[in-house]
Amino acid sequence: MRRIVFLLLAAASLLGTAPGATRPRYGGTLRVMMQAAPNTLEIPAAGTPSDYWNLARILAMVTDTLVTLDAAGHIEPGLATTWQSEMNGKRWQFTLRHGVRFHDGSSASAAVIAKILGDLHPDWGVHASADTLTIETDSISPSLPAELALPRNAILRRNSDGIPIGTGPFRVAEFQPGRHLKLAASEDRWAGRPFVDVVEIDLGRALRDQAIALELNKVDVIEASPQSGTNSARIGTSLQVELMALVFPPNTRAQDARLRDALALTINRKPIQSGLLRGAGEPTAAILPNWMSGYNAVFPVQANVQRARAVLADSRQPALTLNYDPRDPQAQLIADRIALNAREAGITVQVSLSGSPDVSLVRIVLPSSDPATSLREAAQALGLNAPILRSSSVDDLYPAERALLDGHSVIPLFHLPLASAVSARVHNWNPERGGGWNLADVWLEAP
Amino acid sequence: MNIGLELASYNHCIPQMQSHGSRGTRLGWLALLLLAIVLLPQNLSASALTDAARQLAHKIAAVTGPGAVALEITNRSSLDDRSVNEVRTALEGQLRGEGVRTAKPDESVGSAQVTLSENLREYVWAAEIVVGQDERRVVLVSLPRPQTGGAPASAMPVVLRRTFLFAQEQPILDAALVEMPAGSRLLLLDADRVAVYHQQSGRWELESALPILHARTMPRDLRGRLLLRRDHLFDAYLPGTICRSSAAPPPAVACNDSDEPWPLTADDGSVRASFTPARNFFTGAFSPPIGKVANGPSFYSAAALPRSGYTLWALAAVDGSVHLLDGMTDQVIRNVRWGSDLAVIHSNCGTGTQLLVSQSGDPSEDSLRAFDIPDRDPVTASAPIEFDGPIVALWSESNSTNAIAIVKREDTGWYEAYRISAACGS
Repeated sequence: MRRIVFLLLAAASLLGTAPGATRPRYGGTLRVMMQAAPNTLEIPAAGTPSDYWNLARILAMVTDTLVTLDAAGHIEPGLATTWQSEMNGKRWQFTLRHGVRFHDGSSASAAVIAKILGDLHPDWGVHASADTLTIETDSISPSLPAELALPRNAILRRNSDGIPIGTGPFRVAEFQPGRHLKLAASEDRWAGRPFVDVVEIDLGRALRDQAIALELNKVDVIEASPQSGTNSARIGTSLQVELMALVFPPNTRAQDARLRDALALTINRKPIQSGLLRGAGEPTAAILPNWMSGYNAVFPVQANVQRARAVLADSRQPALTLNYDPRDPQAQLIADRIALNAREAGITVQVSLSGSPDVSLVRIVLPSSDPATSLREAAQALGLNAPILRSSSVDDLYPAERALLDGHSVIPLFHLPLASAVSARVHNWNPERGGGWNLADVWLEAP
Repeated sequence: MNIGLELASYNHCIPQMQSHGSRGTRLGWLALLLLAIVLLPQNLSASALTDAARQLAHKIAAVTGPGAVALEITNRSSLDDRSVNEVRTALEGQLRGEGVRTAKPDESVGSAQVTLSENLREYVWAAEIVVGQDERRVVLVSLPRPQTGGAPASAMPVVLRRTFLFAQEQPILDAALVEMPAGSRLLLLDADRVAVYHQQSGRWELESALPILHARTMPRDLRGRLLLRRDHLFDAYLPGTICRSSAAPPPAVACNDSDEPWPLTADDGSVRASFTPARNFFTGAFSPPIGKVANGPSFYSAAALPRSGYTLWALAAVDGSVHLLDGMTDQVIRNVRWGSDLAVIHSNCGTGTQLLVSQSGDPSEDSLRAFDIPDRDPVTASAPIEFDGPIVALWSESNSTNAIAIVKREDTGWYEAYRISAACGS
């Protein structure tokens, strides 16, 4: 009897272990879908957050930056292996990796990289010497490495058709603007050839279409709504890397700061988050998410209608027009709910896409894990003055963020994550917590 | 890092702060290492917490001035109860020293609401202070968060044991233990060097680092093999590169670009197999042939099981199957679902030679298990020994008595080298 049990156990251990237990396998075609339908492969100046992330992910496959940042904002090597700052952060020196070549075979030398960065930033002094690159700025720039890690500073050249030629793990093999992108593995990649041979990206595919395609096993990697569940796939959610907020344009009728303050006090964020956003994200009254700053507790998010009425006192306030981005599937419902909340304090808000808005519901990208860089980028996207920051320490960040929010030109509402899902044949799926996909390390199960 | 319960908390602490308990027991000098890794940061952090609390108290006192203040502390970070109490004690003590007495709200001229929070890099503590009718003031302090840094018994014929050797952040490709008259040496092969360590006071101290110079781009899933030799210390094999150590001190290594096949065992007359320079597998071309088989399937790893009059080779093929080659036939076992790393280990139990097999492919945990192959069907010979991350390399040691397993820990991302040995079970 004991021997029978032993044999059964032995048989179970042979047959019942987890499948797919192999080393990374080379080969295969990774099928990807994206919402964005770009006509050029560059970060859009005025696109949706989805457009930004999609293009950032594409550029990360094709190109490198001098350095990268991890989720905690620590600098990591890219095309540069070491770096140091001088003159209180006004001058940065980068030692470049030896022997790196662009996909067309030309050398990614210090001189070439200096030219690329110099063209991107005419106000910088960019100098090359042997394997060293020096960047000088007029003002102190402690966050320069974080700036260099942004996708807009990817080291790339473009061919006559505008196709990027980079040093990344994949090269562009075919591009049908707005429809399809085919990337092929770069055999000579300095960090090693990626595992998959080809990445086929279908562009301009709605989230719903992507989810259906994944269910039907017609795609391997898709974007997903953070709240949605897909049974047949694995879903990865990033840290909160987007901000949804109300923004008052300069010509708003809400010139009275009391009205903006009162509107901020009426918004009951929690039910919107749990209902309309299906639990995704985090209610906030700050620009930076807590994982970046750590001090969000000092920006209270609780609604207080009574106080809103007290702030308004007996003042006569105009009715406000609230618009939203119609491309954002949740925006209209959230705008309607905000209007409803405002009414409780006697503020009239009309949701409309026509005419000149008094307040806009926007969703912006927080593109860097370096809080100072994200605060600067957010201020620009929200139409605020550039914050004055000497470092990313909380002693500098907090007053800078507080100053941006004083006057209630912006009312932060929610910090939101990104979500992605992959099919069961995808292995080593480790999306970056900042929203990137890192497809060079992905490999596919043998057919 | 000591992580525990939150006090008053209405948002979640950052998930990465959750600790992963070690499941293994460490011996000897490892205890010292654990003391260094686990206990020391805790002690340091206690002092740092106290200093930061005093700093915050000083900032609060500068706003409130002397008098009675209502103090409320809310923990929204991953600090445990004990640490929060230390913070509270230090905070109140420093406030007292600066003439600020904590009192109930109705007996106070102001209030200070302290929130202990954190971001991914540091603890951030904020105090919101209101004195009389004055506007609310906020003061902040921050301090770096410590970096977060891991056998069952069996009724089977073989009990596998693991002995922790070394851990480092850079990928370890292979390791070897060498007994020398001057004491044991540990050789570690990584992408750029062979590091030689000697044991001193129960710890491995770096003795020399022999750089591996190569012109080729190394593949993404880099693999390497370290083989001890009789006439010189070692040979190191990396994709497209072969290195040979000097025969006499001082230790040195010379590397050459080479597509020479890699020996599959440490024997001088071993069967060799070609390794694909830009990939992570052997092509399947053998030199000399295994019996009549000169070309087998592409494979990740191979183990030689001695038999009376011949050697049975087990290959973990790239397609996930396992091949058994005896020189005449190639038997394919498709339903075992083993991992892609195999090694051979000798014991005095069962058939005397077991096949050591990695198991899961799960990034969070992996295990090794021994199998006997009495005829052509593998039979489980041991319970699994588990690891806190995937096994990224598994090689038989040069004498084939033991094996070396390299594990990438899921929680820290560090690489750990273990020696795997076998003893007889019940």
